[in-house]
Amino acid sequence: MSLCQNRLQEERKQWRRDHPFGFFAKPVRTPQGGLDLKKWECGVPGKDKTLWEGGLFKLEVSFPEEYPTKPPKCKFIPPLFHPNVYPSGTVCLSILNEEEGWKPAITIKDILLGIQSLLDEPNPDSPAQADAYNLFKKDRYAYEKKIKNIVRENPAP
Amino acid sequence: MAESPNNSGGGQKPEDAPAQTEHLNIKVTDNNNEVFFKIKRTTQLKKLMDAWCERSGKSPASVRFLFDGTRVGAHDSPETLEMQDGDTLEVHQEQIGGC
Repeated sequence: MSLCQNRLQEERKQWRRDHPFGFFAKPVRTPQGGLDLKKWECGVPGKDKTLWEGGLFKLEVSFPEEYPTKPPKCKFIPPLFHPNVYPSGTVCLSILNEEEGWKPAITIKDILLGIQSLLDEPNPDSPAQADAYNLFKKDRYAYEKKIKNIVRENPAP
Repeated sequence: MAESPNNSGGGQKPEDAPAQTEHLNIKVTDNNNEVFFKIKRTTQLKKLMDAWCERSGKSPASVRFLFDGTRVGAHDSPETLEMQDGDTLEVHQEQIGGC
């Protein structure tokens, strides 16, 4: 079995044994009823005591054949209103960038916890979408109101 | 059927090659306390959930149980949810949106 598949199987095993509360991460089912270890569906809850509290945001995480040398791609489904999320839903985060902070030792748990922190700590110096960036810069009150609505539309199951 | 990866990457191996034991140890956590329950594969999880509520002094209507991000129904069993020994159920406070 390839390094990629081995590593992903081990990640899933560790996750089942222990994972942060309120999160989920599981390989998707193939139409044949097996599992596609290179595509996971994940859920990241908003952090307590932040604007995002009470929400659960779903992502598709896709692993390249070169994983863990190369990082996975993390995409919010549906795309999320956030300054550091591309209109496609793809997350822009240093630890997910091969040229920046990615290291093969970073686990799925690290990634999802990183994304949870990013929700309430956007980086306006590296915007990925215009809508959320502009509102965040120009009208913080309207931005926060919008986030509260998004949380209401994406409640935990 | 046990959760198993498809064949695209070469070898085919069940997710965790678990021994198909009759009883499973399931961890139940509310993010505060962890309690372990031993349950048969085919027993309805309602029994476990009621037992947890009983010992925690919570009403079953005030909480919900999640496995892998999905709400557990009264008629689910470890078998229907493809649970393995050592898996975790999360207990969350029931909530209603809107204000």
